[in-house]
Amino acid sequence: MSEIRTYRRPMGRWWTKNPTYRRYMAREASSFLLFAYALTLLYGLWRLSQGQAAYEGWLAWLASPFAIFLHLLMLLGMIVHTVTWFEVAPKTMPKTGLPERAITLGGVAAAAFASLVVVALAAWWGTSR
Amino acid sequence: MNERRIKIEGLRYNPEKDTQPRFQTYEVPFTDDMSLLQGLQYIKDNLDGSFTFRWSCRMAICGSCGIMVNGNPRLSCETFLRDLLPGPVRVEPLENFPIQRDLAIDQSRFVDRLASVKPYIVPAREKPLAEGPHKQTPGELAAYYQYSQCINCLLCYAACPQVGLNPNFVGPAALTLLHRYNADSRDVGWSARAEVANSEGGVWGCTLVGYCSQVCPKGVDPAHAVNQNKATSALDYFGLRALLGGGR
Repeated sequence: MSEIRTYRRPMGRWWTKNPTYRRYMAREASSFLLFAYALTLLYGLWRLSQGQAAYEGWLAWLASPFAIFLHLLMLLGMIVHTVTWFEVAPKTMPKTGLPERAITLGGVAAAAFASLVVVALAAWWGTSR
Repeated sequence: MNERRIKIEGLRYNPEKDTQPRFQTYEVPFTDDMSLLQGLQYIKDNLDGSFTFRWSCRMAICGSCGIMVNGNPRLSCETFLRDLLPGPVRVEPLENFPIQRDLAIDQSRFVDRLASVKPYIVPAREKPLAEGPHKQTPGELAAYYQYSQCINCLLCYAACPQVGLNPNFVGPAALTLLHRYNADSRDVGWSARAEVANSEGGVWGCTLVGYCSQVCPKGVDPAHAVNQNKATSALDYFGLRALLGGGR
């Protein structure tokens, strides 16, 4: 059989072609902001190991406008990641019989509730000391 | 029925003459009940006999007429011209496949991938004819029924960037059929197809973009079929699959 001559289209900037691809890229990219937050916490732990002065220096940095801006950015990344993560969660688990939307909404609601409980506990602990 | 007109921009590529594809615009009269496939047939019958595309059943069963419609993979037989107004409608061959001619793609890579997943029942035990038919409970049928609805139309391959980026990726439809047979109570299950599923191009080639499930015209949900097997494959890797009962 003679070889078939074909034309292969270049992939180029494939993620710009479709809203689903852009959403996918946002989900994947938001993980870098989660990584940045993990590094921030680890850095604080490292400063703690170096003594009180170093730790308080880190606490002071946390209150700087740049650190607050960075935390708002990381919070946004965290929200995007949580929502998109629960959007794909029904695809990665065995069949439950529940509609996919219920799993997504339930997961996001549970994450939001757990976050509120943690924030409330932290605030209560902070004020009662 | 009132007759309207719509412009169809078709990708043209003749492997004997062209070095790269180009677009050609046709103006097609249509009625409300006409599908895009009928529009393409109008072009071939009345405007340009050399315009090439595949089709067969005209009712979303055969899976031959998948094309990109304004950038989205669709079956042209169940896409209606009235829904594409005002136009123009851009029609291209399915993404992530080499173009053979005009809208016809070369599916040979998919056919090889399909064969690699053993898309047939590998019996758990040889059953003599005298014992009668295999019986399944409604639950056993439900475990695989949805995945058996695949018509190999390849819309999911056109929707999946990993198919285009990773030449080793087995791809959504073939991995879904892998799951369909693994999940069948008459089949020996995971072990028959573990090598393909566990390979680099197997379930781990999927990055869960999820567009495959959105474009599937039969509601098969390839993203679900593929990603459930990542857990099974991971258990297999650690030698825990038989112990914890992942997959069947």
